[in-house]
Amino acid sequence: MSAPELVTLTIDGVEVQAPKGLGLVETAQLAGIEIPVFCYEPRVGPPLGACRMCLVEIEGMPKLQAGCTMTAQDGMVVKTAAASGKAAEGQNATLEFILLNHPLDCPVCDKGGECPLQDLTFRYGPGSSRLSFAKRTLDKPIPISPTISLDRERCIMCFRCTRFSQEVAEDGQLVARNRGALSMIATFEDTPYRAPFSGNVTELCPVGALLPIQYRFEARPWEIQNVPTVCGLCPVGCNVSATTREGKVKRILSRNHPEVDEGWLCDKGRFSFPHLRAADRIAEPLRRAGRRRLEAASWDDALDEAERLLRASGPRTVTALSGSESVEQAWALAKLLRRGLGAHEAVLPEAASDALDAYSLPLSAIRDAQLVVVVGDEPVADRAPVVDLWLRSARRNGAEIVALGPSTESAAEVCRGLAATELGARLRETERAILVWSGDGPQGCLAALAGELGLADRPGSGAFYLPRTPNGRGVADAWAAASDEDPGDAEIGLLIVSGDEAAADPHVRALAEKADAVLAIGMFSEPLRGWVDLVLPATSYLERDGTTMNLEGRLQRQRRAVMAPCPDETAWIAKLGERFGVEISPYPSLLFEELAAACYPGVSYEGIGERAGLPPRAAASPVEAPAPAREPARAAAGFRLLRYTPLFSGPAVERVPELQFQRPAAEVELARADAKRLGIAAGDTVRVSHDGSSVELTAHLSRTLPEGVVRVAREHAGELEHDVEVTRA
Amino acid sequence: MPETRLLLKGAGERDLTQIAEYRAAGGYESLAKARAMEPQQVIDALLEANLRGRGGAFFPMGRKASFLAAGPPRYLVVNADESEPGTFKDREILFSDPHRLVEGCLITAHAIGCEQVFIYIRGEYHAEYEILRAACDQARDAGLFAGVAIVLHRGAGAYICGEESALLESLEGNRGQPRARPPFPAVSGLYRAPTLINNVETVATVPVILATGAAEYAKLGVPPDSTGTRVFSLSGNVVNGGNYELEMGTTLRELIYDLGGGIPDGRELRAVIPGGSSTPVLRADEIDMPLDAQSAAELGTMLGSGAVIAIDDRACLVQVTLRIAQFYMHESCGKCTPCREGTRWVVQIVKKIEEGRAEPRELDLLLDACDRILGKCLCPLGDADAMAVAGFVNKFPEEFRAHIEHGGCPYGGASSVEGLLAPIALHWHDPTTVELPS
Repeated sequence: MSAPELVTLTIDGVEVQAPKGLGLVETAQLAGIEIPVFCYEPRVGPPLGACRMCLVEIEGMPKLQAGCTMTAQDGMVVKTAAASGKAAEGQNATLEFILLNHPLDCPVCDKGGECPLQDLTFRYGPGSSRLSFAKRTLDKPIPISPTISLDRERCIMCFRCTRFSQEVAEDGQLVARNRGALSMIATFEDTPYRAPFSGNVTELCPVGALLPIQYRFEARPWEIQNVPTVCGLCPVGCNVSATTREGKVKRILSRNHPEVDEGWLCDKGRFSFPHLRAADRIAEPLRRAGRRRLEAASWDDALDEAERLLRASGPRTVTALSGSESVEQAWALAKLLRRGLGAHEAVLPEAASDALDAYSLPLSAIRDAQLVVVVGDEPVADRAPVVDLWLRSARRNGAEIVALGPSTESAAEVCRGLAATELGARLRETERAILVWSGDGPQGCLAALAGELGLADRPGSGAFYLPRTPNGRGVADAWAAASDEDPGDAEIGLLIVSGDEAAADPHVRALAEKADAVLAIGMFSEPLRGWVDLVLPATSYLERDGTTMNLEGRLQRQRRAVMAPCPDETAWIAKLGERFGVEISPYPSLLFEELAAACYPGVSYEGIGERAGLPPRAAASPVEAPAPAREPARAAAGFRLLRYTPLFSGPAVERVPELQFQRPAAEVELARADAKRLGIAAGDTVRVSHDGSSVELTAHLSRTLPEGVVRVAREHAGELEHDVEVTRA
Repeated sequence: MPETRLLLKGAGERDLTQIAEYRAAGGYESLAKARAMEPQQVIDALLEANLRGRGGAFFPMGRKASFLAAGPPRYLVVNADESEPGTFKDREILFSDPHRLVEGCLITAHAIGCEQVFIYIRGEYHAEYEILRAACDQARDAGLFAGVAIVLHRGAGAYICGEESALLESLEGNRGQPRARPPFPAVSGLYRAPTLINNVETVATVPVILATGAAEYAKLGVPPDSTGTRVFSLSGNVVNGGNYELEMGTTLRELIYDLGGGIPDGRELRAVIPGGSSTPVLRADEIDMPLDAQSAAELGTMLGSGAVIAIDDRACLVQVTLRIAQFYMHESCGKCTPCREGTRWVVQIVKKIEEGRAEPRELDLLLDACDRILGKCLCPLGDADAMAVAGFVNKFPEEFRAHIEHGGCPYGGASSVEGLLAPIALHWHDPTTVELPS
């Protein structure tokens, strides 16, 4: 890509050099001059020119022009409101018209104080209204979903929300209805706005029209603090600000990291924070007292009990990790257990690997790619939601997106044969080609394929593995760094369950059956009743300092937004460390420096910064593709069952009532052809079964699934795995 | 001055909806002539004839065609969404002379190297749509299309879709709202391809120019700018309303009195809207204005879509203004702020004046509101509202002041605006249930 031609133009008497074709709003910014805007938002598509806030005078043009739709041309002479009475009059007129029917209910508006309409009125608007008629009134607020309310009186029809819905998330659910002064934003046919990214419209809205219901009447902007941190609910690690008031999280906002999230968040990341105040949140240690009863214990007693359990089990202690721990928590725990007890056996949430470090690139590279191949069985939006938006933007930019999954073959099999196909040849020849693996499986297969295709040598090309857990890689790194010794094969003594996700994992529960005792570190008590002997309270990612590694391999800093109702895990791990003669710091910064010396050379805790960088690519080394795990042969009439973890699932989402509408129904998705063959119509109840166990689900006919596979959310799949039969119930 | 029938030549005497009749009257000879010419020669002829857009903007068609970015594809879009109040000239062409338009489409397609022509026809024009469809079928069956496809697309009842970029949006299946320009349709139009958009009358004039000869055509009317003929739609308080094809330069007086038979029932002419409801109104003493662009500009108005509406002395001009303002409020698409909010505010103020509740300063407020809409909108709809309303206030300030001073309409109940534009209630209709003309 060659550097664009530079042109010189004059804005308010200041000479500016800018690349030819740069938007006038940005060009003026280069000169430190503001062209005010409402509807202009480059992230939601081409400029609209609708609000007329950006009117400027351009020499040689008789009428005022919308600055947002004009681009820098050589010799252009532009005057903004600061230098042109005509432009100032135009902007003043725009604001007068906008405010004619705007309710001006700023004192009770949640946007008040952080509202572009207030700010621009203050700077460019009229001081009084000349309207002598009753303002237009409408029903308000209207909940367009359980999480978002719409106030149509405040709406200024900038179309940012509808453009986001149609051109970014491509969910097509927000529309403009009617015309003229009766124009209004609505959801399509008034159905709830149910889509993974809906909450972004509350941040795009430049007025108080679309607001998060959770934040309604919760705070005024002068009594809040926005804490810059990183979302800990999926492996993308979107940069967020946690808005806090009086020690409570009130709202999550995006904090645009242009390489990671471009300022978009999924609704899980945005709206899940009330889980911090869930009814069954654990604030103090709990001890099993009776079959399902847990009773509070003092910290002294709890640490004594923990020491007793650890001493009794010693190296027979097995640790199940969630992958939602911070790097520092995992490191502290690994030091305690591996160095203090010689307990090397861990159940990691997923296989982590550095095999793809030679093909790493920022997520934003997807937008600029020419060819993207997605393999794997799980929907990208469920596994790493914002990646779905990057793929959509790539397609809009003209990239070809090839989805090879889900298929009747495993992703590992698909990767194995790919290099030799016509598509493989194109991947090899395309300058910017990217592979994405969305599902569980050996990353080595993907690395081997990327190696075969020579993606390491092309800067815009690379490969992403979308992990299942937010920080599985960081947790695995920390665990591995604590010791080189291998676990023995002794019987399990104490099972330590770290985190609520591990506690919900059926494999971990099966392991607990075999253990002498179970110690859990968790946030929520309900799921721990009846099988855990000692519970130590856990913190959320919003309540602690630490680092986390996202799917790109980017280490990012999480900052404590609010105090947890309990001490940090590292505080009591450090105390226990003393009892076992291991020196463990309670401070994340020191823990990180220790670990970094072993794992992340050259990275300092303070150096990570608010918008973390991506480490340079590792040198490529040949990777042997691991032999794909043999799946059990299917019966002739059988289907390959794809179980996926829905975006709206997990311990946090389960505890937020307003997110329940987003959870998937008890459905089985199947291909139309299969349904036809089996005499199944959409909405029928069908039985999905294998080997005596079965579940009854509603049939959902899919346009995208291939024949021979069916897909069910994990929470509705019961005990079924791999291979099932489907019949009408 | 009598009518000069070039475009509507033979219409009314023969059934020109039938291809045989049209051919018998010399139809499709221009097409053959054009196809024997180089495309650029056809465009040169349009430039020489100085054919200007008859939809209202009066932009030279040949120049617009020269701006087209390289294809393929290139598209020709014909704007048959005629909706400006008072305008029914395209309807006449579609109804009684459809082959002229089809021939114009095929010649223009040849001139700009395009294979797909789209005709966007007003949804309420049901009979005209059927007639045009039949004409297309006849021409196609006669082998005249030569690889060109003509797509007829019916509108759904929005005035704004007569604005060229909103028309393109609608044609693409989107909400009918104007696009920001640049890019202009000649560079990025329908489906982002270079697109030439012209009005029905303009395109139908293309075969006329080739038949007459560009140089001859350019001598008609008022050269150099207002060459040739235009079809004027005369309506309102006149004896013989209807369409009249006139050489440009004919005066309004000739149109209204000689051809239109004057004002009925011996009443006096009070005002004339010269070019569709959006053009600034003229007083009765200004009707010696020749109907050409220059003369209109000198009087601060425009020929617009060629719709002449005569208003007699029974009509309360504030009521007429209100009808016009209500039309634009109703038809504002809602995309840009000044039009969406301003057209409604203007209606509120005019209504307040008509009802006698306004204070004197509110007349200034009305003019200021118009001024704040004018030139600040995304498309010309807001300008149309502002120009029309301000035009009435500026030409007839005494009428507005009388309402304010009198505390109500000075006509009492005696005013009649019957036959002058439609009341707001009539705008609310379902285009699918409009009665067809027999």
